Amino acid sequence: MHIFGTNYLDKNNSMKKNLSTWLDNKQHLAFTIIIPAVILLIAFAYYPALKSLRFSFLKYNIKQLSRVRFYGLKNYINVINDPVFLFSVLRVLYFMVIATTAVLLIALGISMVLNQKFPGRSILRAVIIIPWAIPPVVNGQLWKWIFNGDYGALNGLLFQLGIINHYQFWLKQPFIALNFAVFLFVWRYTPFIAILFLGVLQSIPEQLYEAARVDGAGAVMRFYHITLASLRKIGGIAVILTLIASFSVFDGIYALTGFNEATKTPMIYNYEVTFDMGRFGKGSAMAYLVGLFLMILTFVYIRMSFKKESE
Amino acid sequence: MRKPLSSGIFLTVMIFLILFWSIAPPLWIAISSISTRTELYSRPPHWIPRHPTLNAYKNVLIKGEGFRGGGGVSASRLLRKGILNSIIISILTTALVMFFAPLLGYAFSRLQFKGHDLFFYLIIGIIALPGWPVLIGLFSEFSALKLLDTKTGLILLSFTFRLPFETWFMKGYFEAIPPEVEDAARIDGCTYIEALFRVSLRMVMPGLIAVSIISFLSTWNMFAAPLVLTYTLKSKPLTVTMTEFIGQYFVNWDLMSAATIIAIIPPIVIVIFFQKYIIRGLSAGAIK
Repeated sequence: MHIFGTNYLDKNNSMKKNLSTWLDNKQHLAFTIIIPAVILLIAFAYYPALKSLRFSFLKYNIKQLSRVRFYGLKNYINVINDPVFLFSVLRVLYFMVIATTAVLLIALGISMVLNQKFPGRSILRAVIIIPWAIPPVVNGQLWKWIFNGDYGALNGLLFQLGIINHYQFWLKQPFIALNFAVFLFVWRYTPFIAILFLGVLQSIPEQLYEAARVDGAGAVMRFYHITLASLRKIGGIAVILTLIASFSVFDGIYALTGFNEATKTPMIYNYEVTFDMGRFGKGSAMAYLVGLFLMILTFVYIRMSFKKESE
Repeated sequence: MRKPLSSGIFLTVMIFLILFWSIAPPLWIAISSISTRTELYSRPPHWIPRHPTLNAYKNVLIKGEGFRGGGGVSASRLLRKGILNSIIISILTTALVMFFAPLLGYAFSRLQFKGHDLFFYLIIGIIALPGWPVLIGLFSEFSALKLLDTKTGLILLSFTFRLPFETWFMKGYFEAIPPEVEDAARIDGCTYIEALFRVSLRMVMPGLIAVSIISFLSTWNMFAAPLVLTYTLKSKPLTVTMTEFIGQYFVNWDLMSAATIIAIIPPIVIVIFFQKYIIRGLSAGAIK
């Protein structure tokens, strides 16, 4: 027993030593670190993406598994000819334009205020992040209660201010519902962009403003030539990021209005077709059509941020 | 910089507007959660509850009365299981991130090895992968691997999608500290790994905290993936069980509000304590 024990320990020690010598080589160490990560990302990112690419060429409904067969490009053709899909694209384009404009303007305002010196500034900076930190789906439910037609706070507030005479069922009015969905996104996403802007604004030396003031530049000129000019590069990145994010909204809308026609963006419709109706073939084709558009935007973003890094 | 009086007033107004914009909505939910049902369902609303009560919290956490969700599950069971699952999933994902982030950052910044660029772009490339194609494929893959409706599946998935951010971010952090500190440790007889853990790790700690915080938040907030990949209380996180509080015909908004407050407490506490790190992580994540 005693002998076995010693032997085992010796062997174990020398194995440990061998392993640590083997690991103390840049190539070996790098591979040991990276291989698990690569396995994971092939298994849970690239492989499933290829899997659904295959689905997109099949007639495949998970409720009728016996009828799976090759379908060529029919799924793609069906998606492009589907009026619900086409309207959802128009809807999301409207969503993106309004949301991006609003997010950038409000973020600009917030970041300029936070760039001033005032007591409690760091508290306010923490407070503005709260909407971003709340789970998006919870955010949707929170606003659903505020927009509630029977007892919602929005109705109460507008009623008490005398702006409306009767409580309104906001979310039952299609155009209002869509705009409220936009608002939900703006509320959540603005802090993120404001933080990005603030980072740039804080790097502008105070002397630059002083010098401009001495040279007789008015507030508008200073804002235009210093504040806005310095935000130009990050502004481009912010636009792309906000376009991507507003296009991809799912959680908030799902909680606020579900599959309601008024707020049905391609993301919502894609979920409905695939997981509610079980049409995996058509859903995959739609996911790829929509994903292609997103990928283009993402490449623009990655290129822009790499460019920024190398400068 | 001296400012005229009017701009001081303007600034104050703006500060209060921003404050209102950011916290009025969650504050109203907090108020709703301690209002009695009679007060909650009154027109116009009672902005300040006259008879504050913790009944909704008691119902939602302990008693589970007054509500039956899908399949007749009580509110308290939905919430308690959801909280537990969310905590397990978020903490384990964050632990994986905390372990791998410094290693990956180190590998891509310090080690020259074959396939460096290929592997780097393979990892960063995930950012460009859109959500639905991956999720649709994952659904069928998970059901083949028996990972459907498991916490393990969700943890592996959310960890995988944190990889690009943590690699990119930690790589930047390592590049900012001089390699000489590790060289010195190596002369003292340390292996690469020992040099990393004894010397550099301490210096990249702020970055590691930022990465971990953001990973925790995004895992806690995750919704679409678990909505698709889980279907029982065994693995549904809080974000998913919460949506079941909205019944088909009737919503108990007091219970809903209490549940909402419980779901947003962890993120809010994290924001308050770690705002510095979050801001650092957010800015770097977008710019680099």
